[in-house]
Order: sequence, then structure tokens, then C-alpha cells
Amino acid sequence: MHPIIRLVNRNLTIAINPGFLIWQVIFPLIYIFVAGFAYTSLIQNVPFGNKDLDYPAFLASGMIGFNIMNSTLVSGIIIWNDRRHGMFEQIMSGPFTRAQYILSNIATIAIVGLVSGALITAVGYPVFFESVEFSLVTIPLIIFTAIAGAILFGSIASIISTRLRSSEGFNVIINTVFLFFAFVSTAFYPAAGAPEPLATAFYLNPLTYLVDIIRAGIFGAVTDFIILEMIVLVSLAAVLFVIATKLLTKLDF
Amino acid sequence: MSCIETKSLFKNYNSLIAVDGIDLNIKSGQVFGFLGPNGAGKSTVIKLLTTLIQPTKGKVSILGIDSRKNPLEIRKKIGVVLQQPSYEPTLSVEKSLAKYGMMWNVDSKTMKKRTEELLSSFELQDIRKKRNEDLSIGQRRRVQVAREFMHDMELLFLDEPTVGLDPSARRKLLDFLKNKVKETGLTIFYTTHVLTEAEYLCDNIAIINKGKIITVASPQELKKKFGHEKTIQIHVSGKNHTLHDLLKDIPDCKIEFNTGTIITIQSSNSEIVLMDILKILNQNDIAIEDLSAMPTNLEEIFLKLVSDSDASNN
Repeated sequence: MHPIIRLVNRNLTIAINPGFLIWQVIFPLIYIFVAGFAYTSLIQNVPFGNKDLDYPAFLASGMIGFNIMNSTLVSGIIIWNDRRHGMFEQIMSGPFTRAQYILSNIATIAIVGLVSGALITAVGYPVFFESVEFSLVTIPLIIFTAIAGAILFGSIASIISTRLRSSEGFNVIINTVFLFFAFVSTAFYPAAGAPEPLATAFYLNPLTYLVDIIRAGIFGAVTDFIILEMIVLVSLAAVLFVIATKLLTKLDF
Repeated sequence: MSCIETKSLFKNYNSLIAVDGIDLNIKSGQVFGFLGPNGAGKSTVIKLLTTLIQPTKGKVSILGIDSRKNPLEIRKKIGVVLQQPSYEPTLSVEKSLAKYGMMWNVDSKTMKKRTEELLSSFELQDIRKKRNEDLSIGQRRRVQVAREFMHDMELLFLDEPTVGLDPSARRKLLDFLKNKVKETGLTIFYTTHVLTEAEYLCDNIAIINKGKIITVASPQELKKKFGHEKTIQIHVSGKNHTLHDLLKDIPDCKIEFNTGTIITIQSSNSEIVLMDILKILNQNDIAIEDLSAMPTNLEEIFLKLVSDSDASNN
């Protein structure tokens, strides 16, 4: 078995535990089915592209991107856990190169991101079934975006993991990052209609781009603006991936 | 064949010199003890030899492979138990062993067999289902050492592997290692602070202080070379404040006065020194409650060598 596959196998074993799975499924489901339907009386329809989506459909599609972000932030902290529990040095003194370790983490993050996205798509599908407009173009677009998003958020978690040593500092940073990403984005509400400063802040958040592209893919509303968002997302993912890799390469024992 | 060979090995971290020109030539099939006080450079040497870090200057050759040119090839042939604990908190003991075997590409049949053997050898059967995060420090250490034997290797680095182990587990581990060396010809590079362990296990010992090797020899050679001194301990009855003045002029010895009633004398000329002391005590009517003489052990040799090295550095 190739060393990267062996490391991915190990990463998935330690990253996917019952707590993680419950968090991954229950948390978004509560949003979709509780918040989604509870807010329907307040928010009837949300304009998206040339469509008017009902709020549960809008929210469920947003939860796919949200779940990719959430799961990859969690699995991206493999490096943090490895450093904390001495496994980083142990692995690096074994039959692996640093490049293999980095690639295995990225692969793990991408797998977790894709599976999480697929899980929420499957669960949320009945909710936004009526408005779905999948096509041969949009499905690869969604998968590619999911991978790019997973790499982006995984890289952010990796960068934080390499820079911080104390558990307290790490928890504060990761929770702050999570809160900003989750709630200052278009995952829960549209940018249109939000106060100007908040709407601007939405577009300083990569989750907005991820959610917008996935939503556009699902509801067949790919516009020039979505393509621009795609370029920003992929570029940002590439830059952050390079930074994370460089920091990991320099990580000393 | 040389298993480990270093030439003028040097490592510094900015102005701090961690390893200062070390030359080692360690033959295969032995347990090589690497001793030194805290901060002497033991763990840095292990990190250099296991290719975790690269030297500032000098050469390292492990199993005939240059560590700068092909570190991965070295790491494929060695096992490493580092000083710091390393574990997967959420995995059970048996799963930890199996996953570690999988990481080393051990086939599933061998993996199952070795897992059972190691669970038995390291007395981990009762806690095989327990998660690593729920184990005591000693149990976790046993798992960490056992795990390393899941894969084949020619050379094993053990950095203070008995830390946290109770005396019984410690002795079992030492016997396990002795047998492995005997049965498989494995070479072990072993660091410890427990000198009795080194004496029990090691074929050869190097003592390092402030990044420099002070001496390399077998425990027997060390005792022969540096252990000609004897330690004599005399327990006199009642505190006597004149003891120091009475005995201060005796030549060829080092005398320590503990609590005013115990005199510890170290001398290579112990018989004559003892006669002189007894004479003085007798002349001054100082009664002796107890007297013992013992050859210098490895611990005293270690302390003496390190203190001599510190003195010469200053």
C-alpha cells in the first residue's frame, strides 16, 4: 500500500469517531429542519438568481457548504492533534516523508469534505427537491467546488495548527474562526437585503463563495458573478494551501 | 559492521551548541547505552541519528546509509521510541498496535500475530480494549514501546523508555529487549538516567555532557578504569564538631561529613586512609557505630565523570 494511502487510512480512523459523526449530521439537520421550517413563517421566499427559493431549500443548500467548512476545520486539526500527542514526530521518524504527510492530510480533508457535503445533500434533497436543476456541468462544478472549499478550510486549520502551541489559544482561535465563517456568510441568509457593512463582510468570508457556488450548481443559476466567485475561491484555496504546506515543511521538532 | 557512525557531528540552535563534535562508531547486535545529565544533548543526538533533524556540520551514517542523502531509507530500517509520549487518544490499545502495523505496511496476518504476541509480552491483555487517553502514564509508555515492535527493524532507538514504569514492568521490558537482541541481532541505542538499567542491559556505554562525549566503554571497563576508588562510610556515635578539623589533613581521599555523624570517604588508597582515620578516631575517643566499604558503582563513576567534565569546561 502506498504510504499516502496508509496515512489517509490512519487519519480517517482517528478523525472519524462517533462524536464527530454525530456533530456532522445532527448539527446541520437541526438547522435544516428546525431553523429552516421555524423561520418559514418569517421568511417566505429568498430570491436567488432567477428563482425564488423557499427558506428551507435556501438553508439546506447553504448547509452543504457549511458542513464542508465545519468538517474540514475539524479534520484539518489532525496536525494540531498529532503535534499535541507526539504523533507528528513519531510519524516523521517512520517510513514517511513530510510531503507524504502533508498530502495525506489534504486527501483526508478532501474526503471528509466530500462525504460531509454528500451526506447533507442526501438528507437535504427532499427539502429542496422541487427547485433542483442538476446538469452534467453543475455536478462536476459542485464536486470541484467542494474539494476546493475543503482544501481552503483544511489549509486554514493547518495554518492555525502550525502556529499555535497552547490548547487554550488554539480553541479560542478555532472557535472564533468558526463563528465568523458560519454566521458572517450567506449560508443562513442572503447578502441581498442585509445591511451594507454586513453584506460587505459576507464577501470577506470564503464560506460565502463556497455556499454561493454550490447553491448556484444545485439550482442551476450559474452567472458571471458565480464564475468570479469560483475564481476567487480556487485562488484563495491555492494560496492558503501553499502557505500551509510551507509552514508544515518548516515545522521543527 | 558499523551500525551507527558519526564524524564530527555538530548541531547548534543559534548560540546554543547542543552537540559539539561527536564521533561514534557503534557495531551491530549490541545494546549501546547513551547516558548524560539533563540537557546534555542525548535527545538531540537521537533526533540527528533518526534523521528528524539534520546536523549543522559533520556526517551521520546509519546502517551504511548517509543521513543527508537518503534519510527515508534510514527511517524505513529503524524503530524509534522518543522521549515524549506519542499516542492516538481515541484508539484502543489493540487498535493502536494494529494501526501502527498498518502504517508500517505489515501484512494483516503478521499484524494479528504480532499484536497478540506484544499484548502478551507487555502484559496489555487486560487493557487491550481501553482507549489510550484512559491509560496511566506507565501503561501508555508500555503501549508506545510495544507498538514499535509491530514492524521489522535493524536498529532501534529508545529514548528513556522506562520513564513511568514500575520496577516490575521495567525489569520485564529490559529482559524483553535483551532477548530481542539475542534472538534477532537487533541493535539498540538506549538512553536512560537509571544507571542500574544501563549496567544490566548495555554492552557499551557512552557518557555525554554539554554536547561532548566524555567516554565510551563497556560497564566493566568503566568500572575497571574509573572504579578503583572505594567508598567507605563510617557512622560515629554522637555529633562531633571537631571531626572536620581532625580529618582534614588526611591525604589521597575525598571526605564528606553528613549530618555530623556520618563520614563518607572516597579513595583509591582506601586501606591506608581507613587505617589513618581509625587511628585518629581512636586517639580522640570517638566511638564507631557502623562501618561499611563498597566498590564504586556505575552511578558514582557517572557522577564523577560528569563533575570532572563540568570542572574542566569551567
